[in-house]
Amino acid sequence: MDVSDILASQASKNKSILVVEKDIPPDVDAGFLTVTDLNVIDKESYDHERETYLQSTARDSVQLLLSSLFSLPTLSSPEGPFAQLPTPTTQLPRAKPLPKPKPLTKWERFARAKGIHSQKRDKKVWDEERQAWVPRWGWKGKNKEEEAQWLHEVPANADADYDPAKDARVARKARAKQNERQHLQNLARGARHQLTATANYVVGTGVGAGMQTERKKEIDRTLATTRVSTASMGKFNRALEGEKKLRGVKRKFDPIERSVETEKSASLALIKKLGNDVRGSSKFKKDGDGDGKVLNVRKAVRFASGGRGAVSLALKTTTATQYGSDGKGKRKMQGKGNGRLRWLPTELYTH
Amino acid sequence: MLRVVKPKNARSKRALEAREPKEVEDPRTVVFVRGTHTGEVVNGVMKELMALKRPHAISFSKKNIVRPFEDATSFEFWAHKNDASMFLLGQSTKKRPNDLIIARMFDGKLLDMCEVGVDQFVSMNEFESSRPRPGYKPMLHFASELFDTHPRFIQLKSLLMDFFNGEAIETIYLAGLEHVISITVAPLPENLASVSDAPVDGHLPIVHVRGYSVKLLASGQRVPRVELVPMGPSLDLSLRRHQPADPELWKAAMRRPKLKKQDVEKGLGKKRKNLEVDEMGDLRGRVHIAKQDLGKLQTRKMKGLRREPGEEESESDEGVSARPTKRKKAV
Repeated sequence: MDVSDILASQASKNKSILVVEKDIPPDVDAGFLTVTDLNVIDKESYDHERETYLQSTARDSVQLLLSSLFSLPTLSSPEGPFAQLPTPTTQLPRAKPLPKPKPLTKWERFARAKGIHSQKRDKKVWDEERQAWVPRWGWKGKNKEEEAQWLHEVPANADADYDPAKDARVARKARAKQNERQHLQNLARGARHQLTATANYVVGTGVGAGMQTERKKEIDRTLATTRVSTASMGKFNRALEGEKKLRGVKRKFDPIERSVETEKSASLALIKKLGNDVRGSSKFKKDGDGDGKVLNVRKAVRFASGGRGAVSLALKTTTATQYGSDGKGKRKMQGKGNGRLRWLPTELYTH
Repeated sequence: MLRVVKPKNARSKRALEAREPKEVEDPRTVVFVRGTHTGEVVNGVMKELMALKRPHAISFSKKNIVRPFEDATSFEFWAHKNDASMFLLGQSTKKRPNDLIIARMFDGKLLDMCEVGVDQFVSMNEFESSRPRPGYKPMLHFASELFDTHPRFIQLKSLLMDFFNGEAIETIYLAGLEHVISITVAPLPENLASVSDAPVDGHLPIVHVRGYSVKLLASGQRVPRVELVPMGPSLDLSLRRHQPADPELWKAAMRRPKLKKQDVEKGLGKKRKNLEVDEMGDLRGRVHIAKQDLGKLQTRKMKGLRREPGEEESESDEGVSARPTKRKKAV
């Protein structure tokens, strides 16, 4: 009778130790083996018996953590039971970004579009003759069987120097080469794809094929240039099948009636341009080239002297006074080069 | 900065592949860096923390001139070289005696930092208790309401969790739980406790870090009774400077992988009822149907049992008891 009392008291004592009561139940994150106790620290006991207080609060929380850990489903193993932890609730930052998905190969993309499920090819194949598993390729590979056999079939119409073993070997090498080429193409395609993805990301257009259309335009431009780059400027070229007539750029005009706002902004932009010295920003800045003034001296001299320079200009003034021509001489229009017209005094040429 | 290496043999290729980003990451490697001058206290703290962090720890034994709050390029360089994503810098200056800086990296760039001063340090040697074995995961205990409200303490909790226990594992051997790291914030001074939840930076309360070893005692139930024995190291830390994470970088660092189809079936993502994957990896479903009404069961049709149109009324008059007898005949 006494014994049962003792047992009961012991059990209740154990229970009181195992069950922890707090104002706010501590937050247990079993995935990270972490328990967070958000209760306010008791200042009085902290001040008086600091270490004991810290230890007792830690014990209570750890007891809670362990009881939640021991209630988890377990996996048995030779060493003992393993508790299966849930996914952590606390989110910690990653150390590296998420892995990027591998770019699909051409075949993979095709298979996906067609709904083909690829079967994993074994590295080894069964050899009936040898009654063993042999590698599909490589050292003692099955793919070298044809060239290694001791007897070859030769077609009746074969050349005298026909070597079937060599033929098979060449074919095998060609297959390997083709595979390598396709592999490289896949790599290049993948890299290009990633480049466009990043380019679009940078520009922020969000269009998938931005790079591709750009490339297509470039090719079209090159083709158009080559077509007119013959001696007859493309006039007597032999027309290829399916070739279209070259078309120039169609001029587009702004509509005559515009809103006041756009007209105003366009005019303002023009005025702003007039006020600025546009050439000031040029990389090739020469002597007298703008120099922050409105007048471009170098250009003015070139214009006035007809491209002969300042010395000829000085010479001209002296000759003009010598011959007594005080600006009465006729002026002649002289064409020069690429359709540019320059007004020059005739005296220099007539005398 | 560093050249991009193309692997020339299989071994270096494997080594480079191990460094590539993974969906489920390896635990963070912590580099323990010594500053221009480290006192006895800082040396001791670094040594003990490294003992707790082993085997995911690298020690830089030489002194380095680093000021991560001004220029974090050295950290970025070391992170790349050592494939490490966390740093613990210890140095002692006149302005900031016994100083520790915990820095965390993301994608080779500095994510966030927290600087703490060690006010008091008691080594593991001072305690009788056994030391934790390397590689054993500690349990963590955080106690204070500030860990939920104050940004400085939220950051500190995140950093310490990453430092001690950043690795997510699927299963654990429960008898292997040997030690606890307990982190408690001292109560707020009374004049501040009434004012607000967010005290001024200069008056942040002290943080107590304590190491305890765990004793699991029989309790007569499945859950054992826990006893803690002080194990050390015990540190009293005061918060100093900090650098919060750049929001953009933080967002990128917090990106999670999409849940796998298998996980969704397991019920980690969206709940899917009555579906399970068995041991063979086959997806098995359970179909619930209503209870079958055997009264409407169609049995063999026989000419003699066929009901005439006029017969119906008389049969219904016979009542329920007549039916089973008829059935019996039919069967």
